[in-house]
Amino acid sequence: MLTFIVRRVLFLPVVFLGVTLLIVLLMQLLSPAERAATFITSPAQLQNIDAIIAKYGLDKPWYNQYWRWLDSAIHGNLGYSTVARTTVVKAIATRFPRTVTLALAALFPIVGVGIWLGTAAALNRDKMVDQITRVLAIVGWSLPTFVLGIWLLVIFYGGLNWFQPGILTTGDSVRLSNLMANGTFHDYTGFLILDSIFNGRFGIFLDVVWHLVLPVITLSAVTSAQIMRVMRSSLLDALGQDYVRTARSKGLSEHVVNTKHARRNALIPVLTVSGFTIILLFNGVVITETIFSYPGMGQWFAAAATQLDYASVLGGAVFTAMIVVLANLFVDVLYALVDPRIRYD
Amino acid sequence: MKRILILLAAALMATMVFAQTAQNTLVEDKFGSIDTLDPAQAYDTSSSLVIQNIYETLYTYKGSSAGEFVPALATDYKISEDGKTYTYTLRKGVTFHNGDPFTCADVAYSLKRAVITNNPQSGDWIVAEPLSGYASNANDALGKNATAADYHKYFQTVDNSVTCPDPYTAVFHLASPSPTFFARMLFSAASIIDKKWAIENGQWDGTEATWKKWIGYDLHNNSFLQDHMNGTGAYQMVQWVPGQKFVAKAYAGYWGDKAKIENVLINRDSEVSTRILNLQKGNADYIDLGARSDVKQVEGSQGVKIWNLDGKLGWADAAVDAVFLNEAIKTDNNPNVGSGKLDGNGIPADFFANQDARLCFNYAFDRQAYGQQVLLGMGISLTMALPKSFLGYDPNIPTYSLDLEKATQHCKAAFDGKLWQNGLKMTLLYNTGNTARQTAMEILKSNLEYINPKFNITVRGVAWPDFIKQASESTMPAYALGWGADYADPDDFIHVFYAKGGYYADQIHFSNPQINQLDQQARTETNPEARKLMYSQIGNLAHDLAPIILVPRAYPILVTSSSLKGVYYNPMIGNGEFLWSKVSK
Repeated sequence: MLTFIVRRVLFLPVVFLGVTLLIVLLMQLLSPAERAATFITSPAQLQNIDAIIAKYGLDKPWYNQYWRWLDSAIHGNLGYSTVARTTVVKAIATRFPRTVTLALAALFPIVGVGIWLGTAAALNRDKMVDQITRVLAIVGWSLPTFVLGIWLLVIFYGGLNWFQPGILTTGDSVRLSNLMANGTFHDYTGFLILDSIFNGRFGIFLDVVWHLVLPVITLSAVTSAQIMRVMRSSLLDALGQDYVRTARSKGLSEHVVNTKHARRNALIPVLTVSGFTIILLFNGVVITETIFSYPGMGQWFAAAATQLDYASVLGGAVFTAMIVVLANLFVDVLYALVDPRIRYD
Repeated sequence: MKRILILLAAALMATMVFAQTAQNTLVEDKFGSIDTLDPAQAYDTSSSLVIQNIYETLYTYKGSSAGEFVPALATDYKISEDGKTYTYTLRKGVTFHNGDPFTCADVAYSLKRAVITNNPQSGDWIVAEPLSGYASNANDALGKNATAADYHKYFQTVDNSVTCPDPYTAVFHLASPSPTFFARMLFSAASIIDKKWAIENGQWDGTEATWKKWIGYDLHNNSFLQDHMNGTGAYQMVQWVPGQKFVAKAYAGYWGDKAKIENVLINRDSEVSTRILNLQKGNADYIDLGARSDVKQVEGSQGVKIWNLDGKLGWADAAVDAVFLNEAIKTDNNPNVGSGKLDGNGIPADFFANQDARLCFNYAFDRQAYGQQVLLGMGISLTMALPKSFLGYDPNIPTYSLDLEKATQHCKAAFDGKLWQNGLKMTLLYNTGNTARQTAMEILKSNLEYINPKFNITVRGVAWPDFIKQASESTMPAYALGWGADYADPDDFIHVFYAKGGYYADQIHFSNPQINQLDQQARTETNPEARKLMYSQIGNLAHDLAPIILVPRAYPILVTSSSLKGVYYNPMIGNGEFLWSKVSK
């Protein structure tokens, strides 16, 4: 197992070079003036376009530009993001914890609700529970994230004013800034939800949780439908296996048969899908974060891609590729833990 | 478990109840995102707004006027007879937010730092031009073959450009007489920073020994002043989270009238619908609208006030919008000009070099329809490419109003009748997402195709990167764009739009010897009345030559919560706003 993990980790630099090289080559399809667009936000700056192209070496051959970026990247500098208005490294450090908070907060309901509904549907095959669950799954799966997000925002903010976009209310936002400025609130982990507890600021903690509710519902609705469908079909498949019949014939209770024998085996495909769910969530947050003005990685990437923010696209792609590789590794390791028959050595 | 969940839900509901803006906090929801906090790097309105509230310049704008000024860090100033020396008397008893005293050394350091760094992305050229004699930084100005002696001479010029005979007198020695200097000194790049604090935190040490490292330096990267501020303004910075929020609090040691609102929170919100909801729900006191049509969404909302909706407050704008007619289009492999010939399937490179063609297009543009459709009747038509409130604006110059007969007449006369006989094929361009510019182009297309069915015009939006590429390659026959004032002087418009060396004039290859000569005279003439006359003459000449189509501008409005008092609009503050210290709740 250890060899397997080491091998996969050693694969990371190859992914790094492959992804960055691909993006640099793709960017070469654009002219230097187009690539300079990221540095020019007003007509007044247009008059300096030649100086800007020269300053950032945008007219140099692609390998020069790549080497220049790679050299900085190796020294820990992924460049300056004109969208995030800070260095790419700082932008990742600030925004990644927020996106992880959102993704994890969504992952639990996604997997939990998915498994729960999928199990209920499979155990009540073709009954009312199954029918309702299947309809819900179709509705959830076919509902675009942006439609659901906007509906929720219009109803629960525009109409009822129960929730609002962003990560904190304006009052807490100012309070937090003042606390941080005078050194009475420490950024221990980068995760505001945790730091608020560590600093004993439970009001801020509750505010963060409150602001997560609508984005989490938006993210969960679509993805849990997929988990539910996989769980249902996998469990139905497992329930028809010989070992389940054997368990029943041994006189075990239906509950034990379903949960310990059938459901445990049925979870393997669900794990695979859950691994991809993490990746899907990173896609889903692009829209969700934009709708709810949630300043995470998704909101940043969406803006970076449309504004040709070269440094952000490169840095972001490298970072996302790493996450995907590590998420897949995590799922592979989890396989072995769930199913002792699986061995990688 | 259930009890815990109920308690948690109750606690969360309690959080919700307090979700309203506090009386002691001004909350602004802005479209733009702050690029930098460094005055020597900033060249965007979002950064300028923050810099103008935290830092100060020697003089500042009076209320909503872009043409009247009041003392800030200086109390008085005088200009030498030759117009090359400006002497400012500095205010005593001013302290920076960290408690350091303000003196002339800070003025000299701040200005020299801006001139030396002068990154091409920044607006430092505005102060560099009069002080060093060059708009660009030393490397770009001196070129690749410059010697050590050239650099030394350049540094000496910059070093001697600001002197301090005593701690409270600053003397500026200009490279040549500049009537625009005073206005330039109100630009954010001329904000005064604390020399001692800056040097202590790794900035240029003010000596010739180290200055070369800072030439053209991108202050975004690894620069302390990128995300730290220490000014003399009524507010001091609390925290900036890039791309998200900026928080400031009133500075207790401010020399002038104290701020009436304790805290300021600037939130960045790119979605106009969210900004509007935030205002309507009481979670913002001020918002940026998108298009003028968004007014309908907030009009009549409870707790919302639209300032100057009827235009009676008389607020003045400081920007010009136009359709630019390119007189030397690159025609090779350029789909915007079809065949590149006047054969009915395209237009030639010099199509707009023909005055009749330009006049035909000018008469075919319906300003009234544009004003109704885009500006909802809130438009102002300009007679020349200069905001109405600026020196030299001449309201007596005639404007082109829709006249299809005259348009026909000029199109028939162009190219000895060939244009009318063969027709044309071309593309009018605008930057994607700007629906106002799109509508302007569609109005033009519709009228031109109406007068001659052989005119085949396409209106196409292009993404900003493509727009920049096409602008630099001169492939756009006609495009819609605008210009906002960098400094409140006619030079920032007249030179840019009409004169050789001006950005737009060069872009569309427009050059008229008489205009160029008048422009050069006006750039060094120190008598305001004489300048006024020169600009009026340029305006008249430009009207006859019609190098551009002037597009009406909407008069300014601001949208705030009804509890916000003392709101005014100054086009030179941020994107057109007020100083935070002047408003109350």
